[in-house]
Amino acid sequence: MFNQKINLVFPLLFFIVIFSSCKKSEELSENFYTCSPISNDSSQQNQNHQKYEEFMQQLVSKGIPSVSMTIYKETDGLWSGANGKADIFNDINLQSCHQTRVGSTVKMFTAVTVLKLVEEGKLNLDDKIADYVSESVISKLENADKATIRQLRNHSSGIYNYIQSLKFQTASLNDFEKTWQPEELLDYAYGQSAYFEVGEDVYYSNTNYILLGMLITEIENKPFYEVFEEKIFIPLNLKYTAFAAKNPVPKGLVRGYIDMYSNFNLTESTYKSGWDYFTADGGLLSNSHDLVIFFKALMNEEIINQNSLAEMLTVFEPKERDENFFPISYGLGIFKVETHKGTAYLHSGDAVGYYANMIYFPKDKTIISYAVNGNYGSLDQYISTKEAMTTFIDLVK
Amino acid sequence: MKANKFQSIFSKQNRIFQFLTFQFLILLSCLFYFSLSSANAQKIPVQISIFNQSTAIPFTRFFTTPVHLGLQVGTEFNYSKEYYSNFPQKSHHWFQTVNASYFYHKDLAQGIAVFSELGYEKRFKFGLALQALLGVGYLHTFSTQDEFALVDGVYKKKKDRGNGRLYPTFSLGAGYYLKPSEKYSTKLFVRYQSWAEYPYSPGFIPIMTHINFHVGYKFFVSK
Repeated sequence: MFNQKINLVFPLLFFIVIFSSCKKSEELSENFYTCSPISNDSSQQNQNHQKYEEFMQQLVSKGIPSVSMTIYKETDGLWSGANGKADIFNDINLQSCHQTRVGSTVKMFTAVTVLKLVEEGKLNLDDKIADYVSESVISKLENADKATIRQLRNHSSGIYNYIQSLKFQTASLNDFEKTWQPEELLDYAYGQSAYFEVGEDVYYSNTNYILLGMLITEIENKPFYEVFEEKIFIPLNLKYTAFAAKNPVPKGLVRGYIDMYSNFNLTESTYKSGWDYFTADGGLLSNSHDLVIFFKALMNEEIINQNSLAEMLTVFEPKERDENFFPISYGLGIFKVETHKGTAYLHSGDAVGYYANMIYFPKDKTIISYAVNGNYGSLDQYISTKEAMTTFIDLVK
Repeated sequence: MKANKFQSIFSKQNRIFQFLTFQFLILLSCLFYFSLSSANAQKIPVQISIFNQSTAIPFTRFFTTPVHLGLQVGTEFNYSKEYYSNFPQKSHHWFQTVNASYFYHKDLAQGIAVFSELGYEKRFKFGLALQALLGVGYLHTFSTQDEFALVDGVYKKKKDRGNGRLYPTFSLGAGYYLKPSEKYSTKLFVRYQSWAEYPYSPGFIPIMTHINFHVGYKFFVSK
């Protein structure tokens, strides 16, 4: 009888192991990835073209699936390039015009949109967020009743960052392709202690920017990302830029990859960024080219006026320095860092399988932007650490 | 190249895990043989359960969706030799389990674990039984998606040999013996199993915690 039972169990186990087949990669043609080339591209004529190309090739050979990079220098103009695979399985080469995820770089767009609303007289930076967002949300977030719009934007509200919740992190892995709604994310910040009293220090919190998205939606009576389109994307002709909520994985989007086990073995993560499709703390689809166009227009006061820009660049110092990064201080949706090549302003962004960064040096108005389609594990050392940023800066400066 | 240095470290780690796995499988085989030998004159307990696996902080979630199905099969042997002979006067016992389990999480991994637990059970006259189990074992996970490995600076689709993990477990369970007065009664049970996999993602997520919610059946077979 024992043998009979065993005979039943082990074939069943075997059956499950063998027939629970792997999730195969999608077969996509080259046509799927066709994009409109960047117009007026003079990159080939740039005096540093070869140097930039070699740098990207080195990065790809180290394990980054692909990198796109755009550099603006007053002396050389705009340079854009790309290297590596936009899609490893289908062997598609990355092009500069491909769209990718740029994560939290959207926070700068959110901050700029809020400043546009200030310029239009629709709100004041020192208004309390509680005056605009539902009491049912505010009452469950410690410090939210006292925090101002300015304090949300420079992360001095002290409000708990939902991403830090281990419950959220494990829940998001458990349902890796779930599309989260803002309220579901806020649920992981509800009832959590604030990091400090409002205005006492600065601490990066995505929760602040979910609230700012709600603020924009409330004031304009339409989804915040439609306001981005009206006030930023369309006026600047950012034709590679969109917000995920409209179409989370559009045709031609570069595939994302993660090194989950830190061993340079990548799995695809294109459909696993659903936690920020609908929130103003992430969810932007763009590329390094459009990020430079945006950053340049911002700093040239083409989106917001001089006073608003001055407000944006007024920084708040953290009480403690992160020894592993450049000295950093917090502006309104932007960071000021003291690099080895001088002061710079920046914002970076992570999504699952993607990373982007944009850096502006005010002294010579140089802008460096790069976007890659791989992160986590052993890849981060080449893209998001201080050492990684140093290599990008040294390349250009 | 830094990349090669990392690869070398992980190859070494894999070799260590393979060695430990081999040793652990030998240990489990011995335990399994011992359990059958010790039950020579008795009936042999077999436990089968299906479970829902999830990544979660233990004891913060009970049952999660989507369901990631798993199957566990195992046996046990008693440290208390007089448990069966003195039943029902002796209503509690210490025991050792030997188990194999499999789970499938479509977006992360599928895994096969072999592990052993030290268990304690308190059995009440009316059929209820409560258990606590502390275990350790080896888990081997395989990606449920295509994997691409870096070879000479180029990613290529690779054959997945999986990753080895340490598999500590802690479980609480409750069951009901369908024939409370019989010492070899079958039992229906539920079990809340919390476990961790280590290492998970070195440098990113060092350790990952999970919970399994089991519904199972224990029965005895004659040798």
